[in-house]
Amino acid sequence: MIILENVSKTYSTGVPALDGIDLRVEKGEFVFIVGNSGSGKSTLIKLLLKELEPTEGKIYVNKRFLNKITRRKLPQLRRDIGVVFQDFRLLEDRNVYDNVAFAMKVVEAPNRLIRGQVLSMLSMVGLLDKYKNFPSQMSGGEQQRVAIARALVNNPSILLCDEPTGNLDPENSWEIMKVLEEANRRGTTVVVVTHNMEIVDAMKKRTVTMNNGKIISDVKQGGGVYYED
Amino acid sequence: MKISSLGYSMKQGFKNIRRNRMFSVASVATISACIFLFGIFISILMNFEYMFQELEKNLCVTVFFDEGITEERIAQLGEEIRVREEVDSIHYTSAEEAWEQYKKDYFKGYEDAVESFGDDNPLAGSASYEIYLKDASRQTELVNFLSGLEGIRDVKYSASTASNLTDIAVMIGYISAAIIIILLAVSIFLISNTITIGVSVRREEISIMKLIGATDSFVKAPFVVEGITIGVIGSIIPLVIIYFAYEYVIQYVMNRFTLFGNTTWFLGVNDIFKVLLPVSIILGIGIGFIGSHITLRKHIKI
Repeated sequence: MIILENVSKTYSTGVPALDGIDLRVEKGEFVFIVGNSGSGKSTLIKLLLKELEPTEGKIYVNKRFLNKITRRKLPQLRRDIGVVFQDFRLLEDRNVYDNVAFAMKVVEAPNRLIRGQVLSMLSMVGLLDKYKNFPSQMSGGEQQRVAIARALVNNPSILLCDEPTGNLDPENSWEIMKVLEEANRRGTTVVVVTHNMEIVDAMKKRTVTMNNGKIISDVKQGGGVYYED
Repeated sequence: MKISSLGYSMKQGFKNIRRNRMFSVASVATISACIFLFGIFISILMNFEYMFQELEKNLCVTVFFDEGITEERIAQLGEEIRVREEVDSIHYTSAEEAWEQYKKDYFKGYEDAVESFGDDNPLAGSASYEIYLKDASRQTELVNFLSGLEGIRDVKYSASTASNLTDIAVMIGYISAAIIIILLAVSIFLISNTITIGVSVRREEISIMKLIGATDSFVKAPFVVEGITIGVIGSIIPLVIIYFAYEYVIQYVMNRFTLFGNTTWFLGVNDIFKVLLPVSIILGIGIGFIGSHITLRKHIKI
């Protein structure tokens, strides 16, 4: 599903962000990627979305060789990857329904499918009753759940989450994790970049720890402290 | 991009225009000014061309023959002239016909004086061909050809009319082309600015769209709709003004300048619009499309 072979990324400033990473994530896995600030976690996400090019190494996502993928085929790659950000990135001028429907309109899904699929996703994240609310009328946890519904509405096979609980209190963070677990249970491969060790410890999922652009540990069932902040 | 997404792109495009109201109005005003001037020049040029054609119809070169020339040689010359590309028609006037016409034109009321000529034809030897041209600018070419023919004594033509008409038409053409090119550049620049602002206002939305997997054309379409809509509105406004003002202006010119005191000198507004309407609309769409496209190439990279 996701394969990184000896991947390095050095920014134009000369700062190395990733240094010879080898990583393999299988279909249907739930993986936490943890590490201190500047360890290369976010660079990894950007490489998987092809927002950045690796300086060295090979990247495969869903059997697509990202190093060689053309600009024209990029939308197809991204339609198969849902993304969730720390700051939600919802459109403030649109209500919950329209924010989620936006993702389907953008990929030019048939209109007849949009309503049913959006409502089903909102039901999954527990926000069906708030579909008319605007982001500004919702809590951080609710906004993040809308963002997850938006990321999943096109049925991507992979969900990438970059610090999804970074702006949330513990209670809301757990709500988000439940939603991500549900998505994983339904078959989506979930990769979560996080600082939240309490959650990582409790969820007992595969945990990859990064430090200074390198993978320093890869544990099947997470738990314990893997790095020093 | 799918046809079904067209509605979405159009809605977003109109939304962009409303959001950037001030810049949209400025762009529409500039394009309107550009196309208004374009319309004026086109109207002048078309009318000028029309007058030119009217004048050309009456513009003729007359050739007279050497004394003692045979009928056969005259007929042969007529054939040689007739087949030339620039010649529209050719008309033979015999010496007798010339004298008859002269009598009609200059001796009306003085029939007694005419009788004094008896059977003599004072215009004997003035048989001629009147040659009408298709294109006044080729008069010199024809005159040179005619002068070189054997059996032709004299070639009469109006040297100044043809070249003056051609020169004025060319000059108007150059001036209008220069002004229109400058205005086009300004219009494209302003549309480009308007689109740039639209893109920066929607930067966040665009980045989300790209991450979700929107195609290049889907992301760009609303801005292209915005540019083209501004272009079309910018061309419709001056067309409406020209449509209603045209007759008044022609009326004014006819009253003010006695030379043009006749409607047959001018084209009607509908004749002008057969050309002006499609060209202006295409121009508006073109300005909008080019203005938005060059901006999007610069600002939206997936």
